[in-house]
Amino acid sequence: MNDVYDRLVGLLTRGFGIEPDEVSTETTFNELEMDSLALVELGLAAQDEFGVKIEDDDIRSSDSIGQAAEAIAAKAVSIG
Amino acid sequence: MTTDREPFHAAVTGVGMVTAAGTGVKAAWDRLCEGGRTAAGPVPELAGLPARFGCAVEDFDPVRAVGRRKAWRLDRCSQFAVAAAAEALADAGLDPSGWDGARVGVVLGSGIGGAATWEKQHHVLLEQGPTKVSSLLIPMLAVNMAAGYVAMECGARGPNLVTATACASGTTAIGTARELLRSGACDIVITGGTEACMIPSIISGFSQMGALSGRDDPQAASRPFDVDRDGFVPAEGAAVLVLEREADARARGARIRARVSGYGASADAHNATAPDPEGAGAELALRAALADAGLGPADVDHVNAHGTSTPLNDLAEARLIRRVFGERPAVTSVKGVVGHALGAAGAIEAVATALTLEHGFIPPTANLERQDPKIEIDVVAGTGRTAPVEVAVSNSFGFGGQNAVLLLSRA
Repeated sequence: MNDVYDRLVGLLTRGFGIEPDEVSTETTFNELEMDSLALVELGLAAQDEFGVKIEDDDIRSSDSIGQAAEAIAAKAVSIG
Repeated sequence: MTTDREPFHAAVTGVGMVTAAGTGVKAAWDRLCEGGRTAAGPVPELAGLPARFGCAVEDFDPVRAVGRRKAWRLDRCSQFAVAAAAEALADAGLDPSGWDGARVGVVLGSGIGGAATWEKQHHVLLEQGPTKVSSLLIPMLAVNMAAGYVAMECGARGPNLVTATACASGTTAIGTARELLRSGACDIVITGGTEACMIPSIISGFSQMGALSGRDDPQAASRPFDVDRDGFVPAEGAAVLVLEREADARARGARIRARVSGYGASADAHNATAPDPEGAGAELALRAALADAGLGPADVDHVNAHGTSTPLNDLAEARLIRRVFGERPAVTSVKGVVGHALGAAGAIEAVATALTLEHGFIPPTANLERQDPKIEIDVVAGTGRTAPVEVAVSNSFGFGGQNAVLLLSRA
């Protein structure tokens, strides 16, 4: 989970204009001004990073980064 | 020639520029006034192509222009527009937090829109399949988005559109913006043009048409009205003007850099890409702009030419200028310095013309070493010319035979 969270923050910093020091596990995507299209883009990046398929409703704007990391981790486990 | 309407003056109260000659009006204007050689060089994205150079904006920082949370989701053409609009609004002394946004319009010109995004995502489609294509493709590509993003940045909720008349787009936009002030639909219009399409597909297309210069030296390739001109040098950039009704601008004590006092538009109805050799269509637009301003040819001191550096355009335009105005007006083409920024060109040239009127200084046409003997007009070359300019016209002619002419006057 921590590893997934760190890698997710890495994606946000590399491609989405987010600074590492402005996020925590509690920060929501809304607070980062990431709308539904931004989350589609994050889903595409996460698909490459984690090798799992991210559906439209897996990550919502109201979710926190910690919740998103958990959702991705759960998918990775179910595949593994 | 007179018109049955009262002359209508739209005050230019603010200007902003993003060009290869500089980002920011001061840097760009200083470089235009220097003349010298073209602000061109090899473009990394074009490496290996027959047409490999252009006038790229090298000192542009998208994060500074639109913020790091947005920079990644705006195409470069929208980033340019947002940056130029912010500079123009600050220059106008307008504070968007205090205005009635419903009275503020945005009219920008763009020839092609977010072409770089389209080309990149087409590669994604071919190489990785449709489910990897960006969900932001459409909002980054669509030609109207630059005006949409400018509105989002400043809360301009009035009429919002992008005009597409190829290389005349920026000029068409400014003429259209002035009409929104004249009709009363808007009190303020943010207008101009933007273009960012120096990508392999687009530049190869222009190259295959034979429209681009084939010279080896990028800085000597754009040479409007020169006997050795052989095509244009592609450029990117944006320019934005803030227009208000003159009485409104004076009432709020705004500094008026110049006025847009006439506009005319027409079509050649002749050929997709070649200009009407006699310039008959362009003449209709020019005479319409004069009539709109209630002025005649003898009133015009200066022509900011379309002057692309193509053999056909420059000759047809020079013949038109000579036929309508005689030898009198001093003519310049800033494309010698900034290249041809397509849908942004007319806006860049309108800002240059406004600054010419404000400062009484006509920038020189770069690289004009030996004027084509068939071009019998007074082209400013070498160094710029200090001259009181009361009335100037700015010509723009687009592929498709679309012509647009602005008439600007000293405030």
